[in-house]
Amino acid sequence: MNHKELIAAMATKMNAPKSMVSDLLEITIKTCTEQLVDEKTIGFQSFGNFEVRKKEERLSVHPATQIRTLVPPKLVVNFKQSNILKDKLKDIPHHE
Amino acid sequence: MNKDKISSQEIIDLVAAKASVSKRAAEEFLKVMIGTIEEALLAGELVKIKNFGTFKLQWNEPRKSVNVQTGEEIIIAGYNKVSFAPDTLLKDLVNEPFAHLEPVELDSENNAVETQKPDEISDPLRIFTEQASEIKSLISEINALSTKSDKKELEEEVFVIENELVYEIQEEEVVDDSDDLIIVDEEFELLNKTEQESVEIPIEESFSEPETVIDSLSPQPVEPEIVHTEQSEIQIADKEDSEQIAHSESEIPSTSFTNETVTLNKKKKLLWIPILFILLLGSGFGLYYFYPPAHKLADKSFHKSKKYIVNLKENVSLTDMFNAVSNWINPQPKPIPAPETVVVPKDTTLSDSLYVKQPVDSLQVLFDNLRVYKEFIASERIKSGSRLTLMARRYYGSKDFWVYIYEANKEKIPNPDQIAKGTLIRIPKLDARLIDVSNPRCLTKAKELHDLYVK
Repeated sequence: MNHKELIAAMATKMNAPKSMVSDLLEITIKTCTEQLVDEKTIGFQSFGNFEVRKKEERLSVHPATQIRTLVPPKLVVNFKQSNILKDKLKDIPHHE
Repeated sequence: MNKDKISSQEIIDLVAAKASVSKRAAEEFLKVMIGTIEEALLAGELVKIKNFGTFKLQWNEPRKSVNVQTGEEIIIAGYNKVSFAPDTLLKDLVNEPFAHLEPVELDSENNAVETQKPDEISDPLRIFTEQASEIKSLISEINALSTKSDKKELEEEVFVIENELVYEIQEEEVVDDSDDLIIVDEEFELLNKTEQESVEIPIEESFSEPETVIDSLSPQPVEPEIVHTEQSEIQIADKEDSEQIAHSESEIPSTSFTNETVTLNKKKKLLWIPILFILLLGSGFGLYYFYPPAHKLADKSFHKSKKYIVNLKENVSLTDMFNAVSNWINPQPKPIPAPETVVVPKDTTLSDSLYVKQPVDSLQVLFDNLRVYKEFIASERIKSGSRLTLMARRYYGSKDFWVYIYEANKEKIPNPDQIAKGTLIRIPKLDARLIDVSNPRCLTKAKELHDLYVK
């Protein structure tokens, strides 16, 4: 579901107007982003953790042209699901 | 690395403070949010949140492995995993400290950098002189192709043009020497003849002149030309030339050329003017090349010196650049949300939607606002065989509007598909615009709600 649908679903669940839900969502996202920028780990119970990890710089070789490139280090956001969520996922029927 | 872990409670507190809502409300919101995301994921859908990222399920195939204790082979079952891909904006904000770094190619990069710099900085005039020499060689090539008589004249022209480029004074001298015209003509004709005697006489006559003119023609670039042209002169004149003539002729060309330019001016204006024009253009280009590169060079060196200095201020400006770029790529509302005093109709999400521009009118407001059912026009008791859709048709005119009856009696109806017998259902009084059978928007809205409730 995309952003809009998410807001609609939440609005009906909470019996709150969509505009309010939309604003709250925006503020929540903003707050989370700020915390992540501060390199903090955010944990949601029974859902998972968002953490910031550093990727070291590395030498990569282009397989075709054989040009060696030095990729600089960077910080990335990582999500790790909690075990409770993992178990819930096992229950759903899988068809592939 | 700060291993500070922040609980959801802290987030709730921050959100409550920023949004000016009660902590309980913020807590409920967060719970609902996480719950909704989970539900969607468990249903197999992906969840995309703007400016944050997308959650989706990743299926991992079953694989063989070994039990570490017993050593026997086991199969790890296939499983679904929740994966999160951060949005560009989030990525950039988090990567702020390393934002100024770029991937760098090795080996080839070193060579490229070194060769560029010295060429441009040293010797600006070199470009100019290079062009001049190119033009010289071009013209001499043209000379080589043309006929012998023409050759002489062109060489003389080259000589003249060289003088024009570097020494303007001589031109004046040449033009002023109108007296020599007659003598010049004679010399010109005589040079063609191979007889020694006829050559000797005019040589003697004009001997006085060359010396004066030669003095003015002191600079060096001229002499090589003289040597060049005199050699050709010798070729044109016959091989019987004595050393004396050769020697004297070396001095003659200087005068003859300068004097003959006057005749040339009169005889061959057509050839001389375009070549002069082209050379002026060339010198103009050279000047153009000279000045702007100086500016560019100044900028380049400035940037390079700053490159390796970690400057806080620079980082901030880079953030702004990133924000500007990401804003350009993903047009979005401003990152810092101030709860706007909205004069606009209440439902902002729909008006912001990229997909469907719905007219925000009173009907839309009815659709989006909470519907509170206070007034009721009737009530019905559920018997076997009674259905909300039938009731809706009876009271509202279309069975799609059962959703409103359901909403009004939500607390009594846990599952709209199965309602306990004997339940008292109250039929709410609805705004006539909401249940207008002829308005397609009413019907689609009702169907939307139907999908939502009967998931």
